[in-house]
Amino acid sequence: MSRGHGATRLGRALRAVSAATLLGALVVTPNALAAQNEELPRVVPDVAGVWDGGGRVRPINGPNQPWTPDNFPVLNERAQAYQQVFDEAIAPKYDCVPSSSPAIQYDPYYMEVVQWPDRVLLRYEKDDQIRTVWLDGREPPPNDYSIQGFSVGRYEGDALIVETSQFVFDITGFDDYNGIPSSQLKTVTERYWREGDELRMTLTVEDPLFLREPASYTTRWLRAPAGYKLNPYECDAFDARRAVRFMIPKYR
Amino acid sequence: MKRLVWISSLVAVTAVGLVIAERPAAAHHSSTPFYDDTQRVEATGTVSRFIFRNPHSFIFIDGRNEAGEAVEWEVEMGAAVSMRRSGWTPETISAGDPIKAVGQPSRAPGTHGMCCAQLTRPDGSPIRP
Repeated sequence: MSRGHGATRLGRALRAVSAATLLGALVVTPNALAAQNEELPRVVPDVAGVWDGGGRVRPINGPNQPWTPDNFPVLNERAQAYQQVFDEAIAPKYDCVPSSSPAIQYDPYYMEVVQWPDRVLLRYEKDDQIRTVWLDGREPPPNDYSIQGFSVGRYEGDALIVETSQFVFDITGFDDYNGIPSSQLKTVTERYWREGDELRMTLTVEDPLFLREPASYTTRWLRAPAGYKLNPYECDAFDARRAVRFMIPKYR
Repeated sequence: MKRLVWISSLVAVTAVGLVIAERPAAAHHSSTPFYDDTQRVEATGTVSRFIFRNPHSFIFIDGRNEAGEAVEWEVEMGAAVSMRRSGWTPETISAGDPIKAVGQPSRAPGTHGMCCAQLTRPDGSPIRP
């Protein structure tokens, strides 16, 4: 993990110019972004835009997507015990608690990537989530744990690398369908790159409290229709839980 | 008009002219714990409410059960943000509209939920955004 980099004078000057441009126009062309220091590329990979992750792009998520028999995580005994007692009725999503990595990336909704000089914003239409990926070398602040964790990133060649840690314990923190929790020790690494007009990503999740080894999947997004803007989600907690009474619960 | 028929085994449904509602399984939750995908139920009645929301929209239908008693069916649909992209709006269906829904029944006894429904007017004409 390379988070800290010493900035050159040129780099600082370019960042200042970029920041001034941002404040003045609120418009940044990712390809025009100068590198932040000597270790980074001169041209930043362009992964910006609104991207479609819906059913026309990839199989809809479920018990076997994106985790197939070939890449399904190897669970330790603790994870198996949690999975065995898990009851769908207590899943936090029925109270509008958003999904986190590594599930949120595979939700079949639109996502917007915004590239700024010192950060990348990953905006998700589902549950109105925003993840900030800091590019300025900062370290995760101590005791700052959250559903989406704390993300730092860097550019490597043609790719954006995002490393996220400091998640809170999540009873369904692995995905929406298999009842596998994730812990405060979960870390997620995402690598985004372009293949023509596609955005692709390989994600690797590690969690020593629940997984015996890292698990990984690769997926893609396609461009959203021109001019599409993310709509507010405004999850309604009453309607999120409405169908739970249709289920025969595991426990009485 | 307000007639509802329970069908305890799989019913062959004529697909011509039917519109498949957005599957609620998309993203938020699997339909399997809530609805029996080996069964089909049919409800014919009048729309009392159409809730166009996230994470799931619902159509409420005033109908009757197999005993002829008045019941309110709750037909679960997809997320409003996804439905909107395929042309749905809060006005696509209105209270008072006659409607026929055929879909998977909810599992819990005494409930009248339905998902993955095909929606038509009672004469078989499709309900479209």
